[in-house]
Amino acid sequence: MAERSLRDIQEALQRHLTNGDEQVRELIVGTPRFPIETRLGIYSDAYRLRLIEALSDAYPAVHTLLGDEGFAALGAAYLEAHPSSYRSIRWFGDQLAHFLAERPPWRDTPLLAEMADFEWALRGAFDAPDARPLERETLRRIPPERWAGLRLRFAPSLQALRHHHWNTVALWRAIEAESDPIPPQALPEVETWAIWRSADQRTRYRSLPVDEAWALGQMREGVDFSSVCAGLVEWIDEAHIPARAAGFLHQWLEDELIADIDSVA
Amino acid sequence: MSRYPSLGYGLGLRKEHYHEILDTDPAIDWFEILSENYLVPGGKPRYFLARIAERYPLVMHGVSLSIGSTDPLDQDYLKQLKALADEIEPRWISDHLCWTGINGLNLHDLLPLPYTEEAIAHVVERVMRVQDYLGRRILLENVSSYISYADSQLTEWEFLNAISERADCLILLDINNIHVSALNHDFDPRAYLEGIAGERVQQFHLAGHSDFGDYAIDTHDAGIIPSVWSLYEQAVERYGNVSTMIERDDNIPPLADLLAELEQARRIAGDRIHPEAANG
Ligand SMILES: [Fe+2]
Repeated sequence: MAERSLRDIQEALQRHLTNGDEQVRELIVGTPRFPIETRLGIYSDAYRLRLIEALSDAYPAVHTLLGDEGFAALGAAYLEAHPSSYRSIRWFGDQLAHFLAERPPWRDTPLLAEMADFEWALRGAFDAPDARPLERETLRRIPPERWAGLRLRFAPSLQALRHHHWNTVALWRAIEAESDPIPPQALPEVETWAIWRSADQRTRYRSLPVDEAWALGQMREGVDFSSVCAGLVEWIDEAHIPARAAGFLHQWLEDELIADIDSVA
Repeated sequence: MSRYPSLGYGLGLRKEHYHEILDTDPAIDWFEILSENYLVPGGKPRYFLARIAERYPLVMHGVSLSIGSTDPLDQDYLKQLKALADEIEPRWISDHLCWTGINGLNLHDLLPLPYTEEAIAHVVERVMRVQDYLGRRILLENVSSYISYADSQLTEWEFLNAISERADCLILLDINNIHVSALNHDFDPRAYLEGIAGERVQQFHLAGHSDFGDYAIDTHDAGIIPSVWSLYEQAVERYGNVSTMIERDDNIPPLADLLAELEQARRIAGDRIHPEAANG
């Protein structure tokens, strides 16, 4: 028999585990008591189970919505399409929301992709970099004439704002609380959610009124305070804008969403 | 060639026990952490780790080094590992004598290597580069395995010995894995213990597994069985003061249950295993 390199052996076993290629059988030895199929089966089963379990850890609500069998089918299809290239299994599920949105039959239930996306954002907030929240006093010390140029830096745990078309968060809460299941429902209007982690290490989420969602999105992108105030005219009377904008800042401080003042130039 | 000072009796640190450890200061000599769980930017895992590191000696145990893979070493992973080590100052760093994937994939399993000269040379060269980069000697652990390669020319212990000798690295002996592999590959676990060079053994793992009669699967999800305890007793006879810890990866019981298992280890090994003063 031709000599096989270490590389050849690893290629053969990996092909077996990822797509069932059988060539590896020639490279290993079994015994009557413990035959080759059983030996290889242990590795194949462990591979699938371990990765599907990791997916379930990241997406418990998607798992509940699909049930054990449905989730196992999703996990197997996802694993085939997106085998892990990460050192830490924590990142393995990073494409699941996208996968659910594109792949039949799951794409026909758009709530699933929205739920996966929400759960992934919760995870992202959970172990994002730490940051000390900005103190109210620091903001208060800014002289009035410099407020116009204020730019903020937000907590690194603040995820990109999520726009929901379904009662995803209500469903998630019911699943989390193990209370009676509630029916999925399309929302009358799109809801925007902020997801972040506060200094006490709690993962938090809140839905935002449309003007606040816009303002937060703008300031997160580095737009200055006066430009944001000017833009609020789309929703609010000019006379009420200063109070409304100050209210946003107050709320963001309370929420521990602001990490620092970027500049007041 | 010398070992690191022994740490005595330890446990694997698991998130289920964070609060209890900080609230009750259990009498555990040291903790082993799973490195990958803490290679995240921040949040709860890092928060608890920092607090536990203030009170207990730690060692770092990884699953992603893939020392036997024919892919290039993952420099980014090594960099993260080193940054974590700089932060928590572990007493040592370990991973497994195995490979976990090629062509950029990670199968997240500890796959066995063929016991050949080619594999020895390949692993030795990589261990030396890793040790160079981390600025310390690492430990390699024997894995449980279910397949043997037709090309293997050596026993598993000859393979492990040769690598640790030539790369000048240390050994983490998982007593449960020896038991499981012995069953699966029909060798005598005592021959394994006899065959391993004692002066390189730095740490023991103890764990449970699932026995299916004709073979066994290492699940690390149950209590330690009597034959693993007796193998442990022989290992202590042979190797002396080797840091011992219980590794439970799944089906995590209350801390009290693991402390009871650790008591069992103490009953067997007694004072033969104890923390040594640093540089002592
Ligand atoms: Fe182990």
